Amino acid sequence: MKKQSVDSSSPLNTEGINTNFLYLMHIHDSAFPIGSYTQSFGMETYIQSDDILTKQKLFSFLKAYVSENLLFTDAIFVKEAYEHFQNDDWNAIVRLENICDASKNATETREASKMMGKQFLRGILPVFPDEGLTKWKAALDNGQVKGHFPIVYSLYTLKMAFDLFTTILTYLYSSTISLVHNGVRAIPLGQKAGIEIIHKLIPEIIEAAKKAMNLNLDDLSNHAVGLEIASMQHAYLHSRLFIS
Amino acid sequence: MSAVTKAAPSHGKLDIKFRNVRGKTSLVDCYQQPPLKASRALYIEGTRKATVYLMESSGGLVAGDRNDFTVELEENTEVVLKPQSATKVYPAFNNQPSEQTITIHIGENSHLEWNRDEIIPFERAKFNGKSRVQMTNSSSLLWNEIIYSGREKRGEKFAFQECNTHLEVWMEAECVVYDSLKLHPKEQELQQLSVLEDFNYIGNLWFICSEASKVDSTEFQKLLVQTENHKSGISTLDGKGILVRWLSNNLPLIKREMETLDMHLLTK
Repeated sequence: MKKQSVDSSSPLNTEGINTNFLYLMHIHDSAFPIGSYTQSFGMETYIQSDDILTKQKLFSFLKAYVSENLLFTDAIFVKEAYEHFQNDDWNAIVRLENICDASKNATETREASKMMGKQFLRGILPVFPDEGLTKWKAALDNGQVKGHFPIVYSLYTLKMAFDLFTTILTYLYSSTISLVHNGVRAIPLGQKAGIEIIHKLIPEIIEAAKKAMNLNLDDLSNHAVGLEIASMQHAYLHSRLFIS
Repeated sequence: MSAVTKAAPSHGKLDIKFRNVRGKTSLVDCYQQPPLKASRALYIEGTRKATVYLMESSGGLVAGDRNDFTVELEENTEVVLKPQSATKVYPAFNNQPSEQTITIHIGENSHLEWNRDEIIPFERAKFNGKSRVQMTNSSSLLWNEIIYSGREKRGEKFAFQECNTHLEVWMEAECVVYDSLKLHPKEQELQQLSVLEDFNYIGNLWFICSEASKVDSTEFQKLLVQTENHKSGISTLDGKGILVRWLSNNLPLIKREMETLDMHLLTK
């Protein structure tokens, strides 16, 4: 994506701004439902065990979610997928998607990632019938791939000519922010607390995206073991607001 | 053994092969390079399985040391491999990591148990472990492992530099397990909620088999104790496996629960 031009301080000057950015904003707003508001990826287990009850606790949890979980899991899949799609290396993509599926140890988290990927595709294909996305849909239908969200997300952003850093950054942002919304609803906390948490998380997200640019599949790590176990235990909670 | 007095890094090798010879699993090939050594195949009464103890005569991995295991099970064999002791990883005084690779091939209708891989990274240790299993739709694998945060009795807790483990299991052309743990205590905040919390041990039990969907995980759940000091979760791997993962401060309890679950899985 091109950078804003020097005199972009004027709101009337749109020259040099990648106006495609609006499409990216759209796929992350609530009018483009991919189901993230129904997923907590294990967070709900901690809310119910009273481990996350305050604004500070939710912030610390999400800071760890970005820097110890997403950075070493999905951010790497987003990056590797982007590069394989860029090289048009279909075999590498299919292998990566298989590894992405296998690496998600907790059943509910694995299912959530697939479900979001499928819903994203269902939403985007009718309005953006791109050849690559159509091929992806066919691979999904014939069982060659499982449909994980970080992979198809990269395919879309590449086709829309967004750069790799923007792709990782926005993926991390949307994954984290949807958990803020869900946390605020489930704990519950006020809207102001949510805003405050998001503002404090943004520098963490930027930092993680920068680090992710230097990682590859060898750096994959499931060391957020607590969250993984929380996600496995989620299925056994008595009452649940979220699917995962 | 004193870690510091040890001279050149050692490179242990153990290549073992099993074959079904007239209905009995036999250890037909064994190449060993010190400090690795295998016992002969033992047959525990009442089972058809060949049990082999894996021995490490040096007492542990010192910086730069490397151990490579290659295991082949031909068709219709049943094997239990038991490392005789935990893998102790000494300080990487010259900053050289210690390495361990395990490469396994399980043929048609064959069954392997690796019981159990235990890694104890000492203060300043650097460890890289990579295990890769290739199996078929008709074979099965039981893999138990425990990773320690250090020598608990010396009060060591995440005092190592790095501990990297990796297990991947391929059933025919499909990846069923791809699990990496990269523990770098200096760069990561491991002891916080959602990561390793206040726990000293990570335990993993993997049971991989194309008929794993028959295992009732709810029944398993009831066999597991959940306390402040010991917790676990169960996951079914798309019908092709089961993972039970522990975070605990109670090592004997992890071992006991692993044994109970192993018994349940193996009698199904």
